[in-house]
Amino acid sequence: MWRRSLVAVGAASVLALAGCGGGDSDEGSSSDASAPAAAKLVVIITPSPDNVFFKAEQDAAKAQAEKLGYQTLVLSHDDDPTKQSQGFDTAISRRAAAVILDNAGADASVTAIQRAKDAKIPTFLIDREINKTGVAVAQIVSNNAQGAGLGGQEFAKLMDSKGEYAELTGKATDTNAGVRSQGYHGVLDQYPDLKMVAQQSANWDQAEALSKTQTILQAHPTIKGIIAGNDTMALGAYAAVQAAKKNVIVVGFDGSPDVVSSILKDGIKATVLQPASKIAEMAVDQADAYLKTGKTDLPEKQSVDCVLVNPDNAGSVKNFTVAGS
Amino acid sequence: MTDTHVAAPASGAATPQPDPPGNPVLARTALLLLRGRTLVVLVLLVIFFSSVSSEYLTQSNIILMTKHVAINAILAIGVTFVILTGGIDLSVGSIAGLASMVSGGLLFTGLGVPGGTLFFSVAVVILLGIVVGALVGAVNGLLITRFGVAPFIATLGMLYVARGAAQLHSDGGTYPDLAGSPERGNQGFGFIGVDSLLGIPVAVWIMVVVAAVAIVVTTKTPFGRQIYAVGGNERAAVLAGIRVNRIKIAVYVISGACAALAGLLLTSELGAAYPDTATTYELNAIAAAVLGGTALSGGRGTIIGTVMGAFVIGFLSDGLVLIGVSTFWQSVVKGAVIIFAVITEQAQQRLQSNLTKRTA
Repeated sequence: MWRRSLVAVGAASVLALAGCGGGDSDEGSSSDASAPAAAKLVVIITPSPDNVFFKAEQDAAKAQAEKLGYQTLVLSHDDDPTKQSQGFDTAISRRAAAVILDNAGADASVTAIQRAKDAKIPTFLIDREINKTGVAVAQIVSNNAQGAGLGGQEFAKLMDSKGEYAELTGKATDTNAGVRSQGYHGVLDQYPDLKMVAQQSANWDQAEALSKTQTILQAHPTIKGIIAGNDTMALGAYAAVQAAKKNVIVVGFDGSPDVVSSILKDGIKATVLQPASKIAEMAVDQADAYLKTGKTDLPEKQSVDCVLVNPDNAGSVKNFTVAGS
Repeated sequence: MTDTHVAAPASGAATPQPDPPGNPVLARTALLLLRGRTLVVLVLLVIFFSSVSSEYLTQSNIILMTKHVAINAILAIGVTFVILTGGIDLSVGSIAGLASMVSGGLLFTGLGVPGGTLFFSVAVVILLGIVVGALVGAVNGLLITRFGVAPFIATLGMLYVARGAAQLHSDGGTYPDLAGSPERGNQGFGFIGVDSLLGIPVAVWIMVVVAAVAIVVTTKTPFGRQIYAVGGNERAAVLAGIRVNRIKIAVYVISGACAALAGLLLTSELGAAYPDTATTYELNAIAAAVLGGTALSGGRGTIIGTVMGAFVIGFLSDGLVLIGVSTFWQSVVKGAVIIFAVITEQAQQRLQSNLTKRTA
């Protein structure tokens, strides 16, 4: 009796797990039966959508592509170049028309993009660059250096140009982690009274940022500010600051809705908004133009400026866009 | 505390304690040190880090480090039950992630039912999260006992299935705000992960309770003795009339429930649930168990050893962050300590059997 009910419960839970996925099947929307239809497929590959930034990117690219009459396939590479390479294999075997990619590594992505190019599939990069030109048709990134400069200036202002601070950096294999950190330091190192007492990588991860910030606050109780390489780490750091009941300035990077609402509640002090949705839409538009005319009439490397978000304008930010910008 | 490793609880497989005549004192001292090596390592770590940083041995830092240890310790206690039977559970990190998403979803968006949305109180949400973990554990157990899948494979499969289910739950997104609201009657999820009782974080109290219950279960109950018997010699256990399958399913259920609890603590502290919660934590949990002297072949190990193992890993990684060592070196040092632990484990086995032989 006991055993039988256990089997039933186990089976039920498996069904329940499987049932979770019943709702969304946007991946199966293209039919392989007709070859011409398959030729109009746009494959969108990004890092894991558990960071709202990439979720916004995926959603914007998918919506824009479908608006222009393409079928879409959305894949996530979880920052693993191998998984990304498999995504490209899928795109090639399904004879995709174009790939929109937020890549998994500046060097590790080059061969996969080249493979697609050899198969006559153009790739349009968004958000992150690769260390080679002439492989992708376009590399549209937000100007991380300019954005980090903005964030650094605001942080220095909030810190009153003096005091101890800590920095949380992103994943070391991602160029943006280095570019942002350099951008911050390009500004902050000019202030002789601003002293960085700790620098740790939290690998873009919220839980890791939380635990590392807690330890940093222990080691340096007099710390006045924390500057983070992205918003998920800023959120983790702010959770630690709150738990320690301290008054520490936290500044992030991305402009994610969670951080914007925290800014409005006087929690996190500032972030730098990257126009994620706009960049994704630009990439799809250029892919469309390229497929129709064979060119984009634009340079391969394009950069879109970031916008500083602080309590003054946080109210007008929605889904990675500032109203009126 | 010091004699915890000497106490091999009622396993039957434990080596008898002979008094070898003419045995050099040195060898016995060495054996004692090897047995208590987790404690020795822990003491050495504390001495080292407190000599480098004056902030290490402060009361607030010890409390904080213990809180960080709590999550891994609870995961590792669950895994220890499984390893004691000779199995392995690779799915605990993913189960923690799934429980995190289930509870986060219930708090943030509620449960969609015909005619509206249901919100549960925090206690119910926590309970449901743990039940989900236990059910996934039960599936693991059934796969292993009923379908004869090797534990490594069954739980490796579940590692992917549960992680995927966690991602499907929110379509990959994050539930950002778990504070709840008065009209939904679901405020207070922060209690288990953020709040403190008597100056000690609730998460640490929970770890203490889980560890205490686990110690009693493994050392003082027939069920506990049967776990050791199954891991020590499964065939003998069957012949002795132990219902091996039932024991095996039970340990995976325990492991799943512990994993879910750890996931909930992590989520509560973070105030947000995201599908990648606790990725690769299964390896930390297994490392803690091994470091604490649990044999992967089953039948040998203690809960207290596992908890000590979790303390070593936690105190080590927090210490490295505290003194500002880079992430890359943190990884190298942690791996080296685990390998060192296994080498000393084997040295202990050799020394022990040598001493035993000499008396025979």
